[in-house]
Amino acid sequence: MATWNKHVAIGEPAMTYKGVGNAIKAAFIKDPNTLAILEDMQFPEIEWFTDNMFERMIECGIAEQNGACVAAALAAEGFVPVLNNFLFASMSRAYNQIRQSILVDRFNVKFISREGVWGEVGVSHATVEGIGSLRNLPNLVIMNPADIVEAEKATEAMMQYIGPVMVRVELSPNPYTIFTDDYPFDIGKAYSLRDGKDATIIATGYMVTEAIKAVDLLEKDGLDVGVLNVCTWKPIDEEAIVAAAERTGAIVTAENCSDINGLGDAVACVLSENLPTPLVKVGVEDEFGQSGLITPEKDELMEHFALSAEDLAVSVRECIKKKERAR
Amino acid sequence: MGHSEALILELEARARTMSDHCLTQFCTFSQGHVGGTMSVMEIITSLYFHHIKFDPKNPDWPERDRVIMSKAHCCEAIYAALVELGMYPEETLGTYYCYGSPFQGHADRWCTPGIDFSGGSLGQGLSFAAGLALAEKLKMKFNPPSREDTFLPRYIVRYNPRFRTYCILGDGELHEGQVWEAAMFANKFKLDNLIAIVDYNKWSLDGPTNDVMQIEPLVSKWRAFGWKVYEIDGHDFRQILDALDLVVKQYGDNRPKVIIAHTIKGRGVSNWEELHMHLGRGDEMMKGVREGRAKYGDME
Repeated sequence: MATWNKHVAIGEPAMTYKGVGNAIKAAFIKDPNTLAILEDMQFPEIEWFTDNMFERMIECGIAEQNGACVAAALAAEGFVPVLNNFLFASMSRAYNQIRQSILVDRFNVKFISREGVWGEVGVSHATVEGIGSLRNLPNLVIMNPADIVEAEKATEAMMQYIGPVMVRVELSPNPYTIFTDDYPFDIGKAYSLRDGKDATIIATGYMVTEAIKAVDLLEKDGLDVGVLNVCTWKPIDEEAIVAAAERTGAIVTAENCSDINGLGDAVACVLSENLPTPLVKVGVEDEFGQSGLITPEKDELMEHFALSAEDLAVSVRECIKKKERAR
Repeated sequence: MGHSEALILELEARARTMSDHCLTQFCTFSQGHVGGTMSVMEIITSLYFHHIKFDPKNPDWPERDRVIMSKAHCCEAIYAALVELGMYPEETLGTYYCYGSPFQGHADRWCTPGIDFSGGSLGQGLSFAAGLALAEKLKMKFNPPSREDTFLPRYIVRYNPRFRTYCILGDGELHEGQVWEAAMFANKFKLDNLIAIVDYNKWSLDGPTNDVMQIEPLVSKWRAFGWKVYEIDGHDFRQILDALDLVVKQYGDNRPKVIIAHTIKGRGVSNWEELHMHLGRGDEMMKGVREGRAKYGDME
């Protein structure tokens, strides 16, 4: 079995949303200025909130554009509004409201957004383009945690940060528990789970779990593959990405969203500018999501979009061949 | 009610100076949103020079009344007021539209102290204003004024809000669906500290507002959304001041208020009134500027 760096202990699958909920709860207990902005789409730990924080829950109804501007104004008055919704509703629907009313003035609004291609929800809810469309907006920090521990730490960091931040919670099967409780999380820092020699998989969110599976598959072929977890998409950790490229000379990116203007493109830009390196992108290839069945034996959408550990292993072998050809 | 003749005369003089300040801004690039700026002049004058709590020396004063210019393309009128209040030197008017100027093409809270809202993308101001009004309510609820704040026994005290929020909407802006989301929201949260003012100048960029997209019957629309509605002539200072006093007195009735101000696009300049000029450019606009200069200021 593969060995891992400090603070990594691969464990049972767990729900990332739970980690977000824990951190939000703690933030609400600590800071009386935090407000929950609801858009008729629930809230993490909603039962606890209804029992304990009812006064601080602002229900805006299914009117996301108004909700975004109201959140901006509440932040302008010193409150810390936390918005929770599917990404397509809270952020894509209210894209211009977020740009104009929140980001231009750097208001301290926090977003929890659900996105990704998995499950039965279908094309409307399983968006893949959201994060790519938000990446070019100034003043917004975007994070995509890999497991329950990182989700909790990222959310805690989001609540401490002053300025607009989004935490993306993926619609996906539950990822492995990856990090130990003393994992040092920092906004803007990528974390190397395993350094490797032959190639590095730069993964984000749920795809870190698939990358971990792929490492074991490739080890059987005698390949030593590293994994770099990029939680903060923006600002991206250029140093860690260049270091990984220096170490292994072959990079595969893995993300559960469109590979146009996604993590793959961000990594490609960093490498082209600093250290051109053979690279293969794994993501959703210019296509909308759809409904699919997930059973322990089979995940229809993983297969359809070629995002499984087996697909990652194929891409890693391809990338290593590219590296050898380039020599 | 019953405002003195002296006050009205003073405000009329202010409005003339403000109009002249706006003409200066239009001249910098021979361009400006002349129609909507001239139509809202008396309303802005009444707010800044008589009605609202605002300290030019301390524009971040937490208890200042908030003025949200939702139709932010007409921010020239607010800039004129800020200059007239002494917040910016008169020369700043000549930097309107210029690189690095605090007087940006559309109002920008980040670089212009005294501005409460970065507008320009229409339809968002009322939501923002409703959010500010809700924030005031929440602050009052979480930190109620102490007994020491008042001389009266608690049971007969009707607190004033710490601040009120005024939102100036264009009539064409009411085509935006988000305005009506905000109207529902304000009613739900009983925002009686929120006052919207519609600058109903009847003309949009493409033609008459009601031809572009019908907004009438406007009064019953707002009423149906739970708002108290007042209709006035938006160029008559007595009517404006009376309406503003009235809505302030109604605080405590749990209802948001809207003042529909009937106005004339490009008011005061015959050429602009005839053309219902929205965005003025070049010679056509400069002709009006010359007429306005003769009327409001010194020809330079």
